[in-house]
Amino acid sequence: MNAIKKRSTPWWVTSVSVIASVGLLTSCASGGDAEGKTDVVFAVKDDPVCLDPQQVTITTALNIGRQVVDSLLDQDAETGELVPWLAETWKTNDDLTSFTFTLRDDVTFSDDTKLTADVVKANFDALNALGADASLASQYLAGYESTEVVDDSTVTVNFSQPNAQFLQGSSTITLGLVGEATTKLSAEDRCQTVVGSGPFTVDSYVPNDSAVLAKREGYDWASKLRNHTGEALVETITFAITPENSVRTGGLQSGEFDIIQDLPAADEERFGTDDYTIYARANPGVPTSLIPNTERPIVADEAVRKAILQGTDRTEINDLTGSSLVEPASSALSSATPGYVSQADKMKYNEDAAAKTLEDAGWTLGSDGIREKDGQKLSVSVTAFYGQDVLEAAQIQLKKIGVDLKLNIVTAGDFFGVVASKDYDFLSASLTRTDPDVLRVLFSPESSAAWGIVDDAALESMLQEQARTADETARNAIIADIQSSLIEHAYLVPLLEVAQVHASTANVKGLEFDSSSRLVMYDVAVDAK
Amino acid sequence: MARINVWVFYLLPKLGQFLFVILATYTLTFVLIHFLPGDPLVAALASKSGDSAVLDPAVLDAQRVKYGLDGSLWEQYFGHLLALFRGDLGISISTGVSVTDMIARALPHSAQIASLALVIGVIGAVIITFLAFAAPWPWLRNLLMQIPPFGVAIPAFLSGILLITIFSFGLDWLPSSGVRSPGSQILPAITLALPVGAIFFQVFSSAVFDAMSSSYVFTAEAKGVPPRSIFIKHLLRNALLPSVTILGLLIGYLAGGTAVVETVFSRDGIGRMTVNAVLARDINVIQGVVLVVGATYAIVNLLVDIAYGVIDPRTRPAAAKPSRKAQEVGA
Repeated sequence: MNAIKKRSTPWWVTSVSVIASVGLLTSCASGGDAEGKTDVVFAVKDDPVCLDPQQVTITTALNIGRQVVDSLLDQDAETGELVPWLAETWKTNDDLTSFTFTLRDDVTFSDDTKLTADVVKANFDALNALGADASLASQYLAGYESTEVVDDSTVTVNFSQPNAQFLQGSSTITLGLVGEATTKLSAEDRCQTVVGSGPFTVDSYVPNDSAVLAKREGYDWASKLRNHTGEALVETITFAITPENSVRTGGLQSGEFDIIQDLPAADEERFGTDDYTIYARANPGVPTSLIPNTERPIVADEAVRKAILQGTDRTEINDLTGSSLVEPASSALSSATPGYVSQADKMKYNEDAAAKTLEDAGWTLGSDGIREKDGQKLSVSVTAFYGQDVLEAAQIQLKKIGVDLKLNIVTAGDFFGVVASKDYDFLSASLTRTDPDVLRVLFSPESSAAWGIVDDAALESMLQEQARTADETARNAIIADIQSSLIEHAYLVPLLEVAQVHASTANVKGLEFDSSSRLVMYDVAVDAK
Repeated sequence: MARINVWVFYLLPKLGQFLFVILATYTLTFVLIHFLPGDPLVAALASKSGDSAVLDPAVLDAQRVKYGLDGSLWEQYFGHLLALFRGDLGISISTGVSVTDMIARALPHSAQIASLALVIGVIGAVIITFLAFAAPWPWLRNLLMQIPPFGVAIPAFLSGILLITIFSFGLDWLPSSGVRSPGSQILPAITLALPVGAIFFQVFSSAVFDAMSSSYVFTAEAKGVPPRSIFIKHLLRNALLPSVTILGLLIGYLAGGTAVVETVFSRDGIGRMTVNAVLARDINVIQGVVLVVGATYAIVNLLVDIAYGVIDPRTRPAAAKPSRKAQEVGA
């Protein structure tokens, strides 16, 4: 007790001043930047969880992985044309079961091992063995038989059945090549370390906090789609994992972040000034849609499906729930998919026509505003695990034509449970793939992920035919017919194109989308302000 | 020797209670998780694979074995319990990493902001109580007493965003997010300290003001002892017991209550890990986190019980008094 009396300063004054000085000290630590930055800070929305690009499907993880591994081919995001990358040339056989690549001979992985035909074989064999752990890759490798090493720099990948999407798949991050040592690891271990031949290497990864990439010294094998050659232009990229939208946008404004992922639609106007750049691109694949199960009595009625197609206003849905920088959905494929042909004419919103279609099919308006036929209400459910706002907009629109759309929003796990048991009227989801073959994956009864349950022999033969057709012009013609048929019979009701929308400060240059709408940061440079 | 015996008899039931709490926590979590509808394995795989999830029954069965989800419920219950005694909390279904490793990684981050929040909250509550006690005018005292309830009333996501807006984006003093930069724990700790300090204040200040009206404070005031001495010598000591009780509860609250703060400040930690695990239905992680938080809570309460005996002679083991008196009489 005496000790307290002797003290000259009250204890609480001391503690307050300690806290205050800690605050001041840390404020000095976070300094600003005056000249061009060599460290880019990219605020991303979620944790990548796993860094192995061959296993992951989360956008953030793919965006990180794209900087670390290169692919055999590259694909022009505008034209869909395939160009050389790690493979200098390639050829396919007529029935699309065999693909031969000739590799560049100057490529090394970040552990200094050389890219050889053996490494490519090790990659595909390991991926095939991963099976369900690499779910997306296993779809690109459907029917995988073997990889033959022809010579040191020539390799042939064989399939037991035609695989039209493989060539395009080989340009994706999912089939990007990892070093031979990585291929020998278990699925879990691969998630922690990944050795690629890309322009950056993984420097550190702290789950739920950040991943830091460092420039690879001596990198010199970028594809010709990039704007420069040699090493990347910045020293490091820090992916700051920042789930809270307002923290990402606030940090972009205050200069804490240089680039942010997933700019909320509400903030597009705020960042639409000269001080910022907004990047937007639709995901290739199938837009967020209503996907029918035609084994269900009401859904089986083509008139009902057609009325639902005519009675949904995609422009309004896009205004309410989408990005102003992306067009409304206009086909069974998104506008960023190779082979896309607009079906906008057949999908025009027309409330009166929709009502007439239902009227003609015998669905009469009940007193509660819901149509009915033979005592049965025109009530269907849609099961989804995201995109509730999109479905709510559709629900309100369909109510106007007397269709009662019941929303069944479930967890991801329950969604796949419902898919497995086929217990649904409609599913709602989107599928991101770089190749139009996604339509076969979605609709062919033989596909392992057939969500749309449709019994149409003509459609099925077209879906199989495009997967066998090597000639691009001929294949695109079939794909155009498939899109036309899907909309004609309303086997799919597209609602909204899924889009990637990012933003950066205006002094960030060279950020580009690849053909699967993932970001390529090889050309990124940050100018002095 | 007799005293040690008495302490052993005082502590043994409390240790038993501690083990019971852990076992009950494990059992309850197990039952709750396993009776939720849906398949946790499918859920976790779906959250990992997104729209490309493929559910082949043969693959699923193999995965079930890998994650310890095969066999009957009884086998799973006792299997996991046995593993638990070996310190093995299983493997996370959605990340494939050992749950023990995940918790070991995240726990220090949470403990850091929780302990800092506790210190800030308690110091703040004591300072405000002292100022109210020493306030020369009743209106000032009433005003001061009205401040802390705000700490509970304002939701953490709002106070967190406000702090970020002012101190990170406005003044550029402290980082807005993450655990990577120095000082990143300060704003989250203050956000957490607001409700913690407010709850502590309610208990602490009422204990202080109750004691104020007692006769010994009256006597001390009459003798002309300055208010600061009265506060430190008499009131603080008297308010200690209820304060320790509420501290025990607050530490339990902090152990599980960091989820919102860790999400707003994008920090790695137990709370955020739990949210992610619940969203992905990653039952091995949920079970591990609940157990660790439950154990923390039980340990804190055990310490609080021991602290009681030390602080307040009246709550010491009853047997201790007669034996000591007997010794004194004997001597």
